[in-house]
Amino acid sequence: MSLHSGIPDAIAADVRHGERLEWWTLAWIDSVVVVMALVMGASQAMKSAVIEDVLSLIPAIVFLLSVHWERKRANNRFPFGYRRANSLAFLVAATALLAVGGFLVYESVTTLVRQEHPTVGGITLFGHTIWLGWLMIAALVYSIIPPLILGRIKQPVAKRINDKVLHTDALMQKADWQTGFAAIAGITGIGLGWWWADASAALFIALSIIKDAVGALRQAVAELLDGTPRALDSNKLADDAERLIATLKARFGDVDVRLRETGRYIAAEVDCPPPATIPTGVELMDEKAWRLASLNFRPE
Amino acid sequence: MRYRFALSFAALLLAACDSLPRDAAGTTERIERTHAMRVTVLPGTPDAQPALALVGAYARDHGAHLRLIPIHGEHAHKALKDGEVDALIGHFAKASPWQADIALSKPVARGEPDDKEHPVLRIARRNGENALILATDQLVAQDPR
Repeated sequence: MSLHSGIPDAIAADVRHGERLEWWTLAWIDSVVVVMALVMGASQAMKSAVIEDVLSLIPAIVFLLSVHWERKRANNRFPFGYRRANSLAFLVAATALLAVGGFLVYESVTTLVRQEHPTVGGITLFGHTIWLGWLMIAALVYSIIPPLILGRIKQPVAKRINDKVLHTDALMQKADWQTGFAAIAGITGIGLGWWWADASAALFIALSIIKDAVGALRQAVAELLDGTPRALDSNKLADDAERLIATLKARFGDVDVRLRETGRYIAAEVDCPPPATIPTGVELMDEKAWRLASLNFRPE
Repeated sequence: MRYRFALSFAALLLAACDSLPRDAAGTTERIERTHAMRVTVLPGTPDAQPALALVGAYARDHGAHLRLIPIHGEHAHKALKDGEVDALIGHFAKASPWQADIALSKPVARGEPDDKEHPVLRIARRNGENALILATDQLVAQDPR
Protein backbone atom coordinates (compact mmCIF):
# COMPACT_ATOMS: atom_id res chain seq x y z
CA MET A 1 0.00 0.00 0.00
CA SER A 2 1.21 3.55 -0.75
CA LEU A 3 -0.11 6.88 0.45
CA HIS A 4 -2.61 7.22 -2.35
CA SER A 5 -3.26 3.68 -3.56
CA GLY A 6 -3.70 0.12 -2.44
CA ILE A 7 -5.69 -1.41 0.39
CA PRO A 8 -4.24 -1.29 3.93
CA ASP A 9 -3.18 -4.65 5.37
CA ALA A 10 -5.44 -4.08 8.38
CA ILE A 11 -8.57 -4.41 6.23
CA ALA A 12 -7.26 -6.43 3.25
CA ALA A 13 -8.86 -9.69 4.44
CA ASP A 14 -12.23 -8.04 5.11
CA VAL A 15 -12.18 -6.32 1.71
CA ARG A 16 -11.55 -9.70 0.06
CA HIS A 17 -14.44 -11.11 2.14
CA GLY A 18 -16.62 -8.26 0.84
CA GLU A 19 -15.62 -9.08 -2.73
CA ARG A 20 -16.50 -12.75 -2.26
CA LEU A 21 -19.88 -11.76 -0.84
CA GLU A 22 -20.54 -9.56 -3.87
CA TRP A 23 -19.64 -12.37 -6.30
CA TRP A 24 -22.05 -14.62 -4.40
CA THR A 25 -24.65 -11.85 -4.63
CA LEU A 26 -24.25 -11.63 -8.41
CA ALA A 27 -24.58 -15.41 -8.79
CA TRP A 28 -27.59 -15.77 -6.47
CA ILE A 29 -29.49 -12.75 -7.75
CA ASP A 30 -28.89 -13.85 -11.37
CA SER A 31 -30.45 -17.22 -10.54
CA VAL A 32 -33.36 -15.43 -8.81
CA VAL A 33 -33.94 -13.28 -11.91
CA VAL A 34 -34.04 -16.39 -14.14
CA VAL A 35 -36.48 -18.24 -11.84
CA MET A 36 -38.76 -15.20 -11.50
CA ALA A 37 -38.71 -14.49 -15.25
CA LEU A 38 -39.82 -18.10 -15.90
CA VAL A 39 -42.98 -17.75 -13.79
CA MET A 40 -43.80 -14.05 -14.07
CA GLY A 41 -46.50 -14.50 -16.72
CA ALA A 42 -48.47 -11.27 -17.21
CA SER A 43 -48.26 -10.23 -13.56
CA GLN A 44 -47.17 -6.62 -13.12
CA ALA A 45 -46.14 -7.33 -9.52
CA MET A 46 -43.75 -10.05 -10.65
CA LYS A 47 -42.39 -7.88 -13.49
CA SER A 48 -41.67 -5.14 -10.95
CA ALA A 49 -39.96 -7.66 -8.66
CA VAL A 50 -37.75 -8.87 -11.55
CA ILE A 51 -36.80 -5.31 -12.59
CA GLU A 52 -36.09 -4.50 -8.95
CA ASP A 53 -33.82 -7.56 -8.71
CA VAL A 54 -31.92 -6.57 -11.88
CA LEU A 55 -31.40 -3.02 -10.54
CA SER A 56 -30.25 -4.45 -7.23
CA LEU A 57 -27.18 -5.88 -8.99
CA ILE A 58 -25.80 -2.35 -9.51
CA PRO A 59 -24.34 -1.77 -5.99
CA ALA A 60 -22.62 -5.19 -6.08
CA ILE A 61 -21.11 -4.44 -9.50
CA VAL A 62 -19.93 -0.93 -8.55
CA PHE A 63 -18.43 -2.25 -5.29
CA LEU A 64 -16.33 -4.78 -7.23
CA LEU A 65 -15.27 -2.12 -9.74
CA SER A 66 -14.37 0.43 -7.05
CA VAL A 67 -12.22 -2.08 -5.10
CA HIS A 68 -10.48 -3.03 -8.36
CA TRP A 69 -9.70 0.67 -8.97
CA GLU A 70 -8.72 1.27 -5.36
CA ARG A 71 -5.92 -1.28 -5.77
CA LYS A 72 -4.52 0.49 -8.85
CA ARG A 73 -1.36 2.50 -8.26
CA ALA A 74 -1.25 6.27 -8.52
CA ASN A 75 0.30 7.48 -11.77
CA ASN A 76 1.11 10.68 -13.62
CA ARG A 77 -2.44 11.08 -14.86
CA PHE A 78 -3.99 10.24 -11.46
CA PRO A 79 -1.32 11.25 -8.91
CA PHE A 80 -3.77 10.91 -6.00
CA GLY A 81 -4.69 7.36 -7.03
CA TYR A 82 -8.17 6.01 -7.56
CA ARG A 83 -9.47 5.89 -4.02
CA ARG A 84 -12.24 8.31 -4.81
CA ALA A 85 -13.70 5.61 -7.11
CA ASN A 86 -15.36 4.37 -3.92
CA SER A 87 -17.07 7.76 -3.43
CA LEU A 88 -18.27 7.69 -7.03
CA ALA A 89 -19.46 4.09 -6.62
CA PHE A 90 -21.36 5.14 -3.50
CA LEU A 91 -23.18 7.84 -5.48
CA VAL A 92 -24.06 5.30 -8.20
CA ALA A 93 -25.27 2.73 -5.63
CA ALA A 94 -27.40 5.31 -3.80
CA THR A 95 -28.88 6.47 -7.12
CA ALA A 96 -29.71 2.85 -8.03
CA LEU A 97 -31.48 2.41 -4.69
CA LEU A 98 -33.46 5.61 -5.32
CA ALA A 99 -34.33 4.38 -8.84
CA VAL A 100 -35.70 1.12 -7.39
CA GLY A 101 -37.84 3.01 -4.87
CA GLY A 102 -39.05 5.51 -7.49
CA PHE A 103 -39.90 2.74 -9.95
CA LEU A 104 -41.91 0.83 -7.34
CA VAL A 105 -43.82 3.98 -6.31
CA TYR A 106 -44.67 4.73 -9.97
CA GLU A 107 -45.84 1.16 -10.62
CA SER A 108 -47.93 1.00 -7.44
CA VAL A 109 -49.55 4.41 -7.80
CA THR A 110 -50.48 3.89 -11.48
CA THR A 111 -51.98 0.47 -10.63
CA LEU A 112 -54.05 1.98 -7.80
CA VAL A 113 -55.15 5.03 -9.82
CA ARG A 114 -56.13 2.99 -12.88
CA GLN A 115 -57.73 0.37 -10.62
CA GLU A 116 -56.07 -2.36 -12.70
CA HIS A 117 -57.25 -5.83 -11.73
CA PRO A 118 -54.20 -8.11 -12.00
CA THR A 119 -54.75 -11.39 -13.78
CA VAL A 120 -53.00 -14.55 -12.62
CA GLY A 121 -54.36 -17.55 -14.51
CA GLY A 122 -53.38 -21.20 -14.77
CA ILE A 123 -50.26 -22.96 -15.98
CA THR A 124 -50.19 -26.53 -17.22
CA LEU A 125 -47.37 -28.67 -15.80
CA PHE A 126 -47.13 -32.42 -16.35
CA GLY A 127 -50.75 -32.55 -17.51
CA HIS A 128 -52.16 -30.61 -14.53
CA THR A 129 -53.30 -27.01 -14.73
CA ILE A 130 -52.59 -25.21 -11.46
CA TRP A 131 -52.87 -21.59 -10.37
CA LEU A 132 -49.73 -19.73 -11.50
CA GLY A 133 -49.85 -17.77 -8.24
CA TRP A 134 -48.52 -20.82 -6.34
CA LEU A 135 -45.45 -20.99 -8.59
CA MET A 136 -44.97 -17.24 -8.23
CA ILE A 137 -45.07 -17.52 -4.44
CA ALA A 138 -42.53 -20.39 -4.56
CA ALA A 139 -40.23 -18.29 -6.78
CA LEU A 140 -40.63 -15.31 -4.46
CA VAL A 141 -39.76 -17.43 -1.40
CA TYR A 142 -36.59 -18.48 -3.25
CA SER A 143 -35.90 -14.81 -4.09
CA ILE A 144 -36.10 -13.80 -0.42
CA ILE A 145 -33.56 -16.25 0.98
CA PRO A 146 -30.28 -15.04 -0.65
CA PRO A 147 -30.70 -11.31 0.12
CA LEU A 148 -31.88 -12.07 3.65
CA ILE A 149 -28.69 -14.04 4.36
CA LEU A 150 -26.21 -11.98 2.30
CA GLY A 151 -27.51 -8.62 3.54
CA ARG A 152 -27.01 -9.64 7.18
CA ILE A 153 -23.47 -10.94 6.51
CA LYS A 154 -22.49 -7.78 4.60
CA GLN A 155 -23.43 -5.25 7.28
CA PRO A 156 -20.65 -6.05 9.83
CA VAL A 157 -18.08 -6.35 7.01
CA ALA A 158 -19.13 -2.93 5.64
CA LYS A 159 -18.73 -1.48 9.13
CA ARG A 160 -15.24 -2.95 9.63
CA ILE A 161 -13.91 -1.66 6.29
CA ASN A 162 -15.98 1.55 6.48
CA ASP A 163 -17.43 0.92 3.03
CA LYS A 164 -20.56 2.88 2.25
CA VAL A 165 -21.05 1.07 -1.08
CA LEU A 166 -21.17 -2.30 0.67
CA HIS A 167 -23.47 -0.81 3.31
CA THR A 168 -25.78 0.57 0.58
CA ASP A 169 -25.72 -2.87 -1.04
CA ALA A 170 -26.84 -4.36 2.29
CA LEU A 171 -29.71 -1.83 2.22
CA MET A 172 -30.48 -2.94 -1.33
CA GLN A 173 -30.65 -6.55 -0.14
CA LYS A 174 -33.06 -5.42 2.57
CA ALA A 175 -35.13 -3.76 -0.16
CA ASP A 176 -34.98 -7.05 -2.12
CA TRP A 177 -36.34 -9.30 0.61
CA GLN A 178 -38.89 -6.74 1.74
CA THR A 179 -40.14 -6.42 -1.85
CA GLY A 180 -40.26 -10.22 -2.01
CA PHE A 181 -42.48 -10.38 1.09
CA ALA A 182 -44.64 -7.56 -0.28
CA ALA A 183 -45.01 -9.41 -3.58
CA ILE A 184 -46.03 -12.63 -1.74
CA ALA A 185 -48.63 -10.64 0.18
CA GLY A 186 -49.66 -9.07 -3.12
CA ILE A 187 -50.05 -12.39 -4.99
CA THR A 188 -51.98 -13.81 -2.02
CA GLY A 189 -54.14 -10.68 -2.11
CA ILE A 190 -54.78 -11.20 -5.83
CA GLY A 191 -55.78 -14.80 -4.99
CA LEU A 192 -58.23 -13.51 -2.40
CA GLY A 193 -59.73 -11.13 -4.96
CA TRP A 194 -58.18 -8.00 -3.40
CA TRP A 195 -56.86 -6.30 -6.53
CA TRP A 196 -55.43 -3.36 -4.50
CA ALA A 197 -53.40 -5.51 -2.06
CA ASP A 198 -50.42 -6.01 -4.34
CA ALA A 199 -49.92 -2.33 -5.21
CA SER A 200 -50.58 -1.14 -1.65
CA ALA A 201 -47.98 -3.51 -0.18
CA ALA A 202 -45.43 -2.47 -2.84
CA LEU A 203 -46.11 1.23 -2.20
CA PHE A 204 -45.53 0.80 1.54
CA ILE A 205 -42.17 -0.91 0.93
CA ALA A 206 -41.19 1.60 -1.80
CA LEU A 207 -41.52 4.54 0.59
CA SER A 208 -39.14 2.88 3.06
CA ILE A 209 -36.66 2.18 0.21
CA ILE A 210 -36.81 5.84 -0.87
CA LYS A 211 -36.15 7.00 2.70
CA ASP A 212 -32.98 4.83 2.84
CA ALA A 213 -31.94 5.99 -0.66
CA VAL A 214 -32.32 9.71 0.10
CA GLY A 215 -30.22 9.26 3.25
CA ALA A 216 -27.51 7.46 1.24
CA LEU A 217 -27.60 10.13 -1.50
CA ARG A 218 -27.12 12.94 1.05
CA GLN A 219 -24.07 11.11 2.42
CA ALA A 220 -22.68 10.51 -1.10
CA VAL A 221 -23.06 14.18 -2.04
CA ALA A 222 -21.45 15.26 1.27
CA GLU A 223 -18.49 13.00 0.51
CA LEU A 224 -18.05 14.36 -3.03
CA LEU A 225 -18.25 17.94 -1.71
CA ASP A 226 -15.43 17.22 0.77
CA GLY A 227 -17.78 17.30 3.76
CA THR A 228 -16.64 16.06 7.16
CA PRO A 229 -16.77 12.21 7.13
CA ARG A 230 -20.28 10.93 7.71
CA ALA A 231 -21.43 7.82 9.62
CA LEU A 232 -22.02 4.65 7.63
CA ASP A 233 -25.76 4.52 8.26
CA SER A 234 -26.76 8.18 8.62
CA ASN A 235 -25.84 11.73 7.66
CA LYS A 236 -24.41 12.41 11.14
CA LEU A 237 -20.68 12.98 11.49
CA ALA A 238 -18.75 9.71 11.86
CA ASP A 239 -17.77 8.90 15.46
CA ASP A 240 -14.11 8.26 14.56
CA ALA A 241 -13.98 11.60 12.70
CA GLU A 242 -15.33 13.45 15.74
CA ARG A 243 -12.82 11.66 17.98
CA LEU A 244 -9.98 12.57 15.59
CA ILE A 245 -10.95 16.26 15.65
CA ALA A 246 -11.05 16.17 19.46
CA THR A 247 -7.65 14.40 19.64
CA LEU A 248 -6.01 16.88 17.23
CA LYS A 249 -7.43 19.85 19.14
CA ALA A 250 -6.28 18.38 22.45
CA ARG A 251 -2.78 17.98 21.06
CA PHE A 252 -2.38 21.23 19.10
CA GLY A 253 -4.64 23.65 20.99
CA ASP A 254 -7.71 25.50 19.83
CA VAL A 255 -6.88 25.38 16.12
CA ASP A 256 -9.07 24.82 13.08
CA VAL A 257 -9.20 21.17 12.05
CA ARG A 258 -10.75 20.10 8.76
CA LEU A 259 -11.44 16.52 7.76
CA ARG A 260 -12.65 15.16 4.45
CA GLU A 261 -13.23 11.68 3.16
CA THR A 262 -11.93 10.02 0.02
CA GLY A 263 -13.73 6.71 -0.23
CA ARG A 264 -13.06 5.00 3.10
CA TYR A 265 -10.01 7.19 3.95
CA ILE A 266 -9.77 10.43 5.92
CA ALA A 267 -7.54 13.39 5.07
CA ALA A 268 -6.96 15.85 7.92
CA GLU A 269 -5.81 19.45 7.75
CA VAL A 270 -4.70 21.32 10.89
CA ASP A 271 -4.19 25.10 10.93
CA CYS A 272 -0.89 25.28 12.85
CA PRO A 273 2.84 24.98 12.12
CA PRO A 274 4.07 21.38 11.76
CA PRO A 275 5.12 19.99 15.16
CA ALA A 276 8.63 18.66 15.77
CA THR A 277 7.22 15.13 16.09
CA ILE A 278 4.37 14.20 13.79
CA PRO A 279 1.88 11.92 15.60
CA THR A 280 1.32 8.50 14.09
CA GLY A 281 -2.00 7.19 12.84
CA VAL A 282 -2.21 4.75 15.76
CA GLU A 283 -1.70 7.59 18.24
CA LEU A 284 -4.53 9.54 16.66
CA MET A 285 -7.02 6.83 15.67
CA ASP A 286 -6.06 3.62 17.50
CA GLU A 287 -7.28 0.54 15.65
CA LYS A 288 -8.75 2.69 12.86
CA ALA A 289 -5.31 4.12 12.02
CA TRP A 290 -5.64 2.80 8.47
CA ARG A 291 -8.45 5.34 7.92
CA LEU A 292 -6.07 8.30 8.23
CA ALA A 293 -4.51 8.64 4.78
CA SER A 294 -2.93 12.06 5.23
CA LEU A 295 -2.32 14.70 7.89
CA ASN A 296 -1.34 18.21 6.74
CA PHE A 297 -0.34 21.26 8.77
CA ARG A 298 -1.05 24.76 7.46
CA PRO A 299 0.95 27.48 9.19
CA GLU A 300 -0.71 30.95 9.19
CA MET B 1 -43.21 -10.97 16.81
CA ARG B 2 -42.03 -11.04 13.18
CA TYR B 3 -41.80 -14.87 13.23
CA ARG B 4 -45.27 -15.11 14.76
CA PHE B 5 -46.62 -12.93 11.93
CA ALA B 6 -44.83 -15.06 9.31
CA LEU B 7 -46.19 -18.28 10.85
CA SER B 8 -49.74 -16.88 10.98
CA PHE B 9 -49.41 -15.75 7.36
CA ALA B 10 -48.15 -19.20 6.29
CA ALA B 11 -51.01 -20.89 8.19
CA LEU B 12 -53.53 -18.58 6.52
CA LEU B 13 -51.99 -19.37 3.14
CA LEU B 14 -52.18 -23.14 3.73
CA ALA B 15 -55.79 -22.88 4.90
CA ALA B 16 -56.65 -20.88 1.80
CA CYS B 17 -55.02 -23.35 -0.62
CA ASP B 18 -58.31 -24.81 -1.78
CA SER B 19 -60.20 -21.56 -2.04
CA LEU B 20 -57.62 -19.59 -4.02
CA PRO B 21 -57.88 -17.87 -6.35
CA ARG B 22 -61.06 -15.80 -6.07
CA ASP B 23 -62.52 -13.25 -8.48
CA ALA B 24 -61.79 -9.56 -7.86
CA ALA B 25 -65.29 -8.57 -8.99
CA GLY B 26 -67.09 -11.76 -7.88
CA THR B 27 -68.09 -13.08 -11.34
CA THR B 28 -68.21 -16.75 -10.24
CA GLU B 29 -70.42 -15.93 -7.25
CA ARG B 30 -72.69 -13.86 -9.46
CA ILE B 31 -73.00 -16.69 -11.99
CA GLU B 32 -73.95 -19.07 -9.16
CA ARG B 33 -76.42 -16.58 -7.71
CA THR B 34 -78.15 -15.64 -10.97
CA HIS B 35 -77.78 -19.09 -12.58
CA ALA B 36 -76.65 -17.35 -15.78
CA MET B 37 -73.31 -16.86 -17.50
CA ARG B 38 -73.33 -14.04 -20.04
CA VAL B 39 -71.30 -14.89 -23.14
CA THR B 40 -70.76 -12.99 -26.38
CA VAL B 41 -69.61 -14.73 -29.54
CA LEU B 42 -67.78 -12.20 -31.71
CA PRO B 43 -69.01 -11.88 -35.30
CA GLY B 44 -66.88 -13.88 -37.75
CA THR B 45 -66.39 -16.84 -35.43
CA PRO B 46 -68.00 -19.73 -37.33
CA ASP B 47 -66.01 -22.31 -35.33
CA ALA B 48 -67.15 -21.06 -31.88
CA GLN B 49 -68.81 -24.35 -30.93
CA PRO B 50 -65.89 -26.01 -29.04
CA ALA B 51 -65.41 -22.84 -26.96
CA LEU B 52 -69.14 -22.58 -26.32
CA ALA B 53 -69.12 -26.20 -25.16
CA LEU B 54 -66.31 -25.43 -22.67
CA VAL B 55 -67.97 -22.36 -21.15
CA GLY B 56 -71.25 -24.30 -21.16
CA ALA B 57 -69.58 -27.03 -19.09
CA TYR B 58 -68.24 -24.38 -16.71
CA ALA B 59 -71.71 -22.82 -16.37
CA ARG B 60 -73.28 -26.26 -15.68
CA ASP B 61 -70.64 -26.94 -12.97
CA HIS B 62 -71.89 -23.77 -11.24
CA GLY B 63 -75.60 -24.48 -11.66
CA ALA B 64 -76.03 -21.94 -14.46
CA HIS B 65 -76.82 -21.80 -18.15
CA LEU B 66 -75.34 -19.74 -20.96
CA ARG B 67 -77.03 -16.49 -21.90
CA LEU B 68 -75.78 -15.32 -25.28
CA ILE B 69 -75.46 -11.53 -25.47
CA PRO B 70 -75.22 -10.11 -28.99
CA ILE B 71 -72.69 -7.26 -29.03
CA HIS B 72 -70.69 -6.09 -32.02
CA GLY B 73 -67.04 -5.29 -32.59
CA GLU B 74 -65.16 -3.01 -30.22
CA HIS B 75 -68.18 -2.68 -27.92
CA ALA B 76 -67.80 -6.34 -26.95
CA HIS B 77 -64.30 -5.78 -25.52
CA LYS B 78 -65.49 -2.77 -23.56
CA ALA B 79 -68.51 -4.71 -22.33
CA LEU B 80 -66.16 -7.44 -21.05
CA LYS B 81 -63.88 -4.88 -19.38
CA ASP B 82 -66.88 -3.22 -17.75
CA GLY B 83 -68.28 -6.55 -16.54
CA GLU B 84 -71.38 -6.46 -18.75
CA VAL B 85 -70.48 -9.91 -20.12
CA ASP B 86 -68.52 -12.72 -18.44
CA ALA B 87 -66.68 -14.12 -21.46
CA LEU B 88 -66.04 -13.40 -25.12
CA ILE B 89 -65.52 -16.10 -27.70
CA GLY B 90 -63.65 -15.12 -30.82
CA HIS B 91 -60.45 -15.21 -32.80
CA PHE B 92 -57.54 -13.53 -31.05
CA ALA B 93 -53.80 -13.54 -31.79
CA LYS B 94 -51.37 -14.34 -28.95
CA ALA B 95 -49.95 -10.83 -29.49
CA SER B 96 -53.41 -9.26 -29.61
CA PRO B 97 -53.53 -5.51 -28.96
CA TRP B 98 -56.23 -6.35 -26.37
CA GLN B 99 -53.89 -8.66 -24.49
CA ALA B 100 -53.29 -6.24 -21.59
CA ASP B 101 -56.97 -5.35 -21.20
CA ILE B 102 -58.54 -8.81 -21.20
CA ALA B 103 -57.35 -12.27 -20.14
CA LEU B 104 -57.00 -14.53 -23.18
CA SER B 105 -57.07 -18.33 -22.85
CA LYS B 106 -54.80 -20.69 -24.75
CA PRO B 107 -56.21 -21.67 -28.19
CA VAL B 108 -59.32 -23.86 -27.96
CA ALA B 109 -59.23 -27.26 -29.68
CA ARG B 110 -55.80 -26.66 -31.22
CA GLY B 111 -52.20 -25.91 -30.28
CA GLU B 112 -50.57 -22.49 -30.12
CA PRO B 113 -49.68 -21.34 -33.66
CA ASP B 114 -46.04 -20.47 -34.37
CA ASP B 115 -47.08 -17.06 -35.62
CA LYS B 116 -47.97 -14.85 -32.64
CA GLU B 117 -49.97 -12.58 -34.96
CA HIS B 118 -52.21 -15.41 -36.23
CA PRO B 119 -55.71 -15.18 -34.68
CA VAL B 120 -57.20 -18.45 -33.40
CA LEU B 121 -60.25 -19.41 -31.36
CA ARG B 122 -59.84 -18.34 -27.72
CA ILE B 123 -61.97 -17.43 -24.72
CA ALA B 124 -61.45 -13.92 -23.36
CA ARG B 125 -62.22 -13.24 -19.70
CA ARG B 126 -62.36 -10.07 -17.63
CA ASN B 127 -59.02 -9.18 -16.01
CA GLY B 128 -58.79 -10.03 -12.31
CA GLU B 129 -61.53 -12.70 -12.37
CA ASN B 130 -58.91 -15.27 -11.46
CA ALA B 131 -61.21 -18.08 -10.26
CA LEU B 132 -63.11 -18.01 -13.57
CA ILE B 133 -59.86 -17.64 -15.51
CA LEU B 134 -58.20 -20.64 -13.79
CA ALA B 135 -61.31 -22.82 -14.13
CA THR B 136 -61.67 -22.09 -17.86
CA ASP B 137 -57.88 -22.49 -18.37
CA GLN B 138 -58.23 -25.97 -16.81
CA LEU B 139 -61.10 -26.83 -19.15
CA VAL B 140 -59.17 -25.60 -22.21
CA ALA B 141 -56.11 -27.65 -21.12
CA GLN B 142 -58.25 -30.81 -20.69
CA ASP B 143 -59.97 -30.33 -24.06
CA PRO B 144 -58.61 -32.77 -26.69
CA ARG B 145 -56.68 -30.97 -29.43
